[in-house]
Amino acid sequence: MPDRDPPASTPEPLLSARGIAKRYGAVRALEEASLSVRAGEVVALLGANGSGKSTLGKIITGITRPDAGTLTFDGAPLHLSEPAQARRRGITAVYQELSLVPDLSVAENVWLGHEPVRRGGIDRRTMKGRTAELLASFAGVFSVPVEPDTLVDSLPPSERQLVEVVKALAWRPRLLVLDEATASLDARQVDRLFELVRGWREGGMAVVFVSHRMNEIFRVADRAVVLRNGVTVGERRIGEVDEQELVQLMTGGGAVAAIALEGHDAPGAAAAPPGATEAPVVLELRRFASGVVAPLDLTLRQGELVGVGGLQGQGQSRLLLALFGAVPHQGEVRLEGAPVAFRNPRQALRAGVAYVPGDRNREGLLPVRPILENLQLPNWRRYGTPLRMERARRDAAAVVADLDVRLASLDEPVANLSGGNAQKVVIGKWLSRRPKLLLLDDPTKGVDVNAKAELYRLLARLQAQGTTILFHSSDDAELLGLCQRVLVMQDGRVTATLEGDTLDQRHLVAAAMGAQGAGAA
Amino acid sequence: MSRVPPAAVALLLSVALFFLAGLVQPNFVNAAQAINIVRLAAFLGIIAAGQTLVIISGGEGIDLSVGAVVTLGAILTFMISGGSSERLWLALLVVLAVGAAIGLVNGLGIVFVRIPPLVMTLGMAGVVQGTILAVTRGNIPGGVPRALANLVTGRFLGVPGAIYLWALLGLLMWFVLQRTRYGRELFAVGVNRRTAALSGVNVSGVVVLTYTLSGLLAALGGLLLLGFTQRVFLTLGETYLFPSIAAVVVGGTVLAGGRGSYFGTMAGALVLTMTESLLRSMRIGEAYQMIVFGAILVVLLSVYGRQRERE
Repeated sequence: MPDRDPPASTPEPLLSARGIAKRYGAVRALEEASLSVRAGEVVALLGANGSGKSTLGKIITGITRPDAGTLTFDGAPLHLSEPAQARRRGITAVYQELSLVPDLSVAENVWLGHEPVRRGGIDRRTMKGRTAELLASFAGVFSVPVEPDTLVDSLPPSERQLVEVVKALAWRPRLLVLDEATASLDARQVDRLFELVRGWREGGMAVVFVSHRMNEIFRVADRAVVLRNGVTVGERRIGEVDEQELVQLMTGGGAVAAIALEGHDAPGAAAAPPGATEAPVVLELRRFASGVVAPLDLTLRQGELVGVGGLQGQGQSRLLLALFGAVPHQGEVRLEGAPVAFRNPRQALRAGVAYVPGDRNREGLLPVRPILENLQLPNWRRYGTPLRMERARRDAAAVVADLDVRLASLDEPVANLSGGNAQKVVIGKWLSRRPKLLLLDDPTKGVDVNAKAELYRLLARLQAQGTTILFHSSDDAELLGLCQRVLVMQDGRVTATLEGDTLDQRHLVAAAMGAQGAGAA
Repeated sequence: MSRVPPAAVALLLSVALFFLAGLVQPNFVNAAQAINIVRLAAFLGIIAAGQTLVIISGGEGIDLSVGAVVTLGAILTFMISGGSSERLWLALLVVLAVGAAIGLVNGLGIVFVRIPPLVMTLGMAGVVQGTILAVTRGNIPGGVPRALANLVTGRFLGVPGAIYLWALLGLLMWFVLQRTRYGRELFAVGVNRRTAALSGVNVSGVVVLTYTLSGLLAALGGLLLLGFTQRVFLTLGETYLFPSIAAVVVGGTVLAGGRGSYFGTMAGALVLTMTESLLRSMRIGEAYQMIVFGAILVVLLSVYGRQRERE
């Protein structure tokens, strides 16, 4: 229909999203998001944790349906109910989480679901040939040989990521979403990908580029769209903006913290006992490392509440798991001065360390079992044989009353509780043990505002009782409101330690994005 | 609560079947027949006790070696005691130790070598069965101690000993599951091993202990079964393997693990034994018996499934 599209100085956007809103239960992911991309344009989608950029990406590619708002693609309304539909319309995406089937070859993965067909059968020769052509665009930057017949299972993460890109290209997209797609690539591979992106742009492809690396955005994007708390708050042409201004847009000049913490009596720095630096050292790490977590030193004193921040998935969870003995670690750990090396959570538990996992349902709860059993799971040893059930029940009832868990009976399955109340059960099972060190892995994800406020009060109380708390959160406002000190992690490294003057939203976001001039480590 | 526990559903079903049998076969309903059926169910129930623990432990838990271990338990008792009641104690000790050892190997293979339970226990069944055959060459000398026969078949107040033993085991199993740390941790391991481990449960230890108990209980079942059959043969235990799984499932224990009870398994054993007796008394051929068994299993499980969805 070229006759209906007269050439214009500012062509119609290929994709346009207006007033998009999306809720997950009580959580508002997007409120008033908009985004438009023209053919032959690379748009960077930016935002702090929880700003809704992933949700917006999922809506564009048909993974998630919006509650409100309009999408148009190529001048016509776009109603997507599944990703396959989006792909047929010419919209594909590459995600950081990989979608390849390990037991299939590269070619089989690339053409999965749209295999070339000839005479009623899969045309393997065409499939391989076209895969080889697509792979050729990354020739020279593979760290291991990748052929159409190579089994995906045998490839390292970076090569798998490139195969993901090839898989998206096989759909001949008109709009490509790259969502954190550079995270596992090395520098040469990123360079090549950007060369290719520029080439696709020349060819008229529209690209939405989601990245948490500032320098990449400046290298490849034409325009930046910034989301904050589910709202599109600004657009800038990349040539006319600097890092500072983008960070400012993402944080709203620090106002976010105030809004998110409004009405909560968060413990904050005021709760720190005077002369906290004199308090005895509880945890001391020397060159502590585990998997992606690069060697780090850390000293935590009694009653301290220290935050671990940064963008999601930068090794924060791994750090906490390693401290709890759930995954192997290297380096020295001293707990109250004594060297320890936990090989499993049981040992950590006995030494007075407790851990609250991020994924409540998969790591923290026994959904079908009664609340009583969930609360007492780590503690049965205390009740002898035969188990003194009366006492166990009384103790559980005391924890429930203390935390104000709303329940009908201790015997109902924990799955019947709301998110906030279930989270209290996950924390509650440790309370009666009076842990010396409490590790929390993003405990407020998906809980409502009231439950968050209650959790903050609980943490303040534990802190006042002398419990040392290491607290990972993907909610920046929470870290700023609660912690006296925040470690910022990027790619497994602690890239900054913020405290005092540097403990603000601007420094936090800048450090998380790896911007220059962030608080030094 | 509107929800009826599966164990109660199964128990009601077995009672209903009993009286239904009365409509078809008036001479079926009497105390002697009822006692006889419960006695038959007792052996299945005892053999299915370990299976119950294994299935609750989750992780695709199943013990396909119970049949072979039952046979081994009976044969060891037969050979070691040689019919002497004095040597029954020795036989009991050896049988329990060997059963536990077989279960221990199953557990270690599953936990530390990460062999799927189905494969590990099926392999173990072959090894045990083959070893029996190789060692005995089909020629098994020995005898049944009178004390054992008396214990199992002798009557007190008109009820055979096997039923008392089963009731005792029922209480013991309730105690283990509900009143010990192991029992509580077993359910946790069955629901979610990750949660259990992160809550300080020794998941490997619980799983290994569970398979060990299963081996021990199956061997004990073999010893008691000998008191009833009074003779040994190489396929003695095999016929109990699939009923032992069916009894657990009919009793409402979830194959995925984490939920169930031994009372359920007891009721399940009653349902299966009841059905079999009824069909046999109606002179219904084996082919149709199998069809009816299969149908009962499917219908009951769909009823339990519906109840769970409403939770």
